[in-house]
This record gives sequence, structure tokens and C-alpha cells, in this order.
Amino acid sequence: MGPGRRGGRGVRPASAEQERRDPARASAGYRLAALWPPLAWMLAFVAAPTLIIAAYSFFTRDDLGRPAPAFVLDAWRSALSRDHLALFWRSAWVAAVSTALCLAIAYPVAYFIAGGGRWKNALLALVVLPFWTNFLARTTAMQMILVRVLGPEFHSPAAVIAGLVYSYLPFMVLPLYVSIEKVPKRLLEAAADLGASPARSFWSVTVPLTAPGIAAGCVLVFIPCFGAFVTPALLGSPREQLLGTQIAVAYRANVPVASALSMTMMAAVLVLLAIYYRVKKTDGIV
Amino acid sequence: MRKALGVWTALVLAVLYLPIAVMVVYSFNAAEQVVVWKGFTLDWYRKAFENRAARDAFVQTISIALGSTLLATLVGTSAAVASVRLSFPGKRAFNALVSMPISIPDVLMGLSLFVFFGAIGIGLGRATVILAHATFSAAYVAIVVAARLQGLDRSMELAAQDLGATPFGAFLKVTLPALAPAIAAGAILAFTLSLDDVVITYFTSGPRVTTLPIYLYSRVRFKFTPEINALSTLMLAASVLLVVTSLKLQKPPVGGDKR
Repeated sequence: MGPGRRGGRGVRPASAEQERRDPARASAGYRLAALWPPLAWMLAFVAAPTLIIAAYSFFTRDDLGRPAPAFVLDAWRSALSRDHLALFWRSAWVAAVSTALCLAIAYPVAYFIAGGGRWKNALLALVVLPFWTNFLARTTAMQMILVRVLGPEFHSPAAVIAGLVYSYLPFMVLPLYVSIEKVPKRLLEAAADLGASPARSFWSVTVPLTAPGIAAGCVLVFIPCFGAFVTPALLGSPREQLLGTQIAVAYRANVPVASALSMTMMAAVLVLLAIYYRVKKTDGIV
Repeated sequence: MRKALGVWTALVLAVLYLPIAVMVVYSFNAAEQVVVWKGFTLDWYRKAFENRAARDAFVQTISIALGSTLLATLVGTSAAVASVRLSFPGKRAFNALVSMPISIPDVLMGLSLFVFFGAIGIGLGRATVILAHATFSAAYVAIVVAARLQGLDRSMELAAQDLGATPFGAFLKVTLPALAPAIAAGAILAFTLSLDDVVITYFTSGPRVTTLPIYLYSRVRFKFTPEINALSTLMLAASVLLVVTSLKLQKPPVGGDKR
């Protein structure tokens, strides 16, 4: 965003008159109605719960196993124990492989769709639609295919990865599509004029220019894969828990440990989100 | 080269839709076992409709979806208006907070709400599920409405103010009607998301409330039957129908970008 655009949102210059009439300045009622309800809601149901699990990760448990206020590191010791760290890294590994597969599968698809043609919008809609449809039903369908192909003993990390790729592929296609579509055709023509082969101009022009889309897509796929719960619970082997399934198992028995495990997941997610927002260069809501 | 890419795209789409197609086809399969085909039947649908537990779960699901949609639409729309139209300190943090429910994994959202409700002493039940669903759905409503609001010409609202309307009055009379399709699209999306949710419901519902996805989830884990195919097909059909309606109400027509 250039310095010239900082003044106002619209095309009209932000005159003093308009500033005065800007609802943000002119009306406390407007502000009261638009800002405070969602802010209060999100503080109550997003910020407060996050802070509360941070606090509970230092709690101890009473005789009945209920969380009790304290400041002890027991839960953190458990969350950072060798077994739990192994879960963390296994989840990261499963998510990384799923993300890499999504990228390899989605890039040619996004490239093709961005290439235009009459079916552009229809193809994009076809790719996106499954994402919005019932997640459980799709995972169940995947499960059924795996039973048919591999028999009832299909549960494995590979099955989990297949399920994750199947579920989150649209997250990869969309940002790739957006960034590939923005690559100026004349740069590719220039590369060709200067003697670059199509492969060379792809790797030296298209890929670097679509790096933001690649990064965004990878973050958008990695995060839900890393925290996955339904997919590994249905497709994975019960002997091989992931971080998400472990939290879902631990939360009834031991809230402090589940909270500390969640904080390790949250830390990884926040690092990735910071990358995402940096790449996206926007702080808007959309 | 282009041809190869086209073939690849077709292949990927085929793989995306194949499991769904197989599930739909097998929901009409007369065989008890899911792996052999024995002819067409509607028995599994009849069984699903006669299943008392599934019917109860369905009623719960709908009432939760209606309640959370109402709340999510109010919260999400006002969040979008605040984000696009108001200037205030800490707006970046506000935007991040509003979109946080969809940027963090569901497990984190679910666990933190479970602990939160426990900490403030609210017993888990239908109300907690409604509050939880409204929170993540509001983020989606906010995104859909904000996208539309950004595309709206501001001059009409300012003209109304020139003609003597208060800023809020001008918003209500001029901007809100123009936003109506986007708000409706967001509401439908919120309803669909509530209808489909497993993870957050799993954490926030407690033992007394069972939604249809939770019911299915527990049954799928136990044993796979054709009745599950029928129920899944029905849920899938409902979400496709709702989402296509929502996308049609959003403009541009392929409202794919959910961020």
C-alpha cells in the first residue's frame, strides 16, 4: 500500500468536511452498535477462553481430578515430556507431508484454471464446493473407499495423510490460483524472447512470483492438518495418536495437561499465522 | 502441456468427487455389507427416518443451528461494519480476534471453550453449543459481509447524511438494504457450518446433547453400516444445497475466497 493511499478508503479525497461526517467520528451511537457487541462477544468467547487455558496449564488437580488453582509446572512437564513431544513432531510431520502433497497436486490444477478458458469459474467452483460440504460425510466416504481398496485393516498414517489431502486440497488451490492469475503475461513473453525454455521461465519467473500464494496455501493447509482430530480418529491407527486426538482424549481426565498440550499447538499455530499475515500484507478482515 | 494440465485437473476433480459418488450410490445398495452391490433399495433411508436417536439428534441439530445462526449473523455483521467503516485504535487486533476462530484448529477452539464454560460454571448443554457455534460462524459471516461492504459505494450513504439523516440512520436505510444479500449469504453459511460441525460440538455439548454429526461420528467409529451412508448422503445434500444458495447470493458468483 503506497503512501498516497493512506488517507481514505474510497476514491474521493478525504476532505475535512467528510472526515467530520465520518461515522467513526460523528456518531457514538454508530460505534456503540457496530463495535462493542462483536468486540465484547469475541473477548468473551475467544480471548478469555484462550487466556483461561493458558492459566489452567499451570493448575493442579484436586482429589476428584478436577482442575484446582495453583501455580505448578506439572502439566507443562507432561506436555513437554518425551512422549508428548513425539506426538507434537508426529503431527508436524503428518501435516508437513500432507501440505507438500497438496502443493504438488494443487499447483498444476491452479495453473490450469488460471490459464483461463470458458470453464474457469465452473472449475473453480467445483474445486471449492467440497470444502463447504459436510466434513464428516466426506471423511466417512473416504473411509468407505479405503475399506473397499485396502480392506478393514486400512488404519495407518498413510490413510490419515490421504484423508487430510482430500479434505484440505481446496485451501491450497485457492491462494495458488489467485497468485498465478496475477503473474503478468508479458514477463513470461519476455523470458521466452530472451531464449528461456518454458520450464526455465516457469521456475525463474512463475514460481518466484507466486511464492506468496505458495506460502499462504501451505500455512492454510498445515494448520488444520496439524490440529486434525476427526480425520486421524477415523482413519488413523488407535495406537498412533496425534496431538489433536491426544487433546481430545486427555481433556476429560486431565484438564491442565490438555491445556498445556493446547498451548504447544497454539504456539506453533501463532508462528505460522504470523508468517501468513506477513505474506498476505493485509490487516483487513477479508 | 496445456492438455496435460487439463487431464491432471480432470483427474484431481474425479478423485475429489469419487468417494462422495460412491457413498451416494451405496446408500441405495440392498446389501447389508458396504462392499458388495445387490441392487437398488430405499430401505436405508427408511431405517434412518425411523431411527429414533437420529430423529432426536436431527431436532437438536436444527434448533442449535437456528439459534447460533441468529447470533452469528448479528455479531458477524456488526463486526464487518466495525472493521470496514469505523476507524479505531487496535483495529488490527480486532480483525485478528474476529477471524481467530477460523484460523486456529477446531480442537483449540473446542477445548478452550470447554474449559471456559467449566471455569465460569455454565453446565454444558444446548446453550453452550449454540454460543460456541455462533462464535466460529460469526467469523465467516463477518468475512462475507465485509467483502460486500468493501465493494459498496459510500456516496449514497453520505448523500443521505447530506439530506439530514444521522450516520446511523443513513446506514440503516441505505447501506443495510444493499448489504442484505451478503447478510443472507453469511447467515446460510453460518447455518451450514453449525449443521456440519463435529469437533467443537464434541467438546461443548456434554453428555445430554447429541447432534446429528456427533451421532454419526460415534456410530462410524463403532461400526460402518449402509444406514450411515444414507444419513451422510442426506447431510451432504443439505450442505451442498445451502452452500450453493449462499454462493449465489454472494457476488462475485464464485465467492470462493473464504479469507
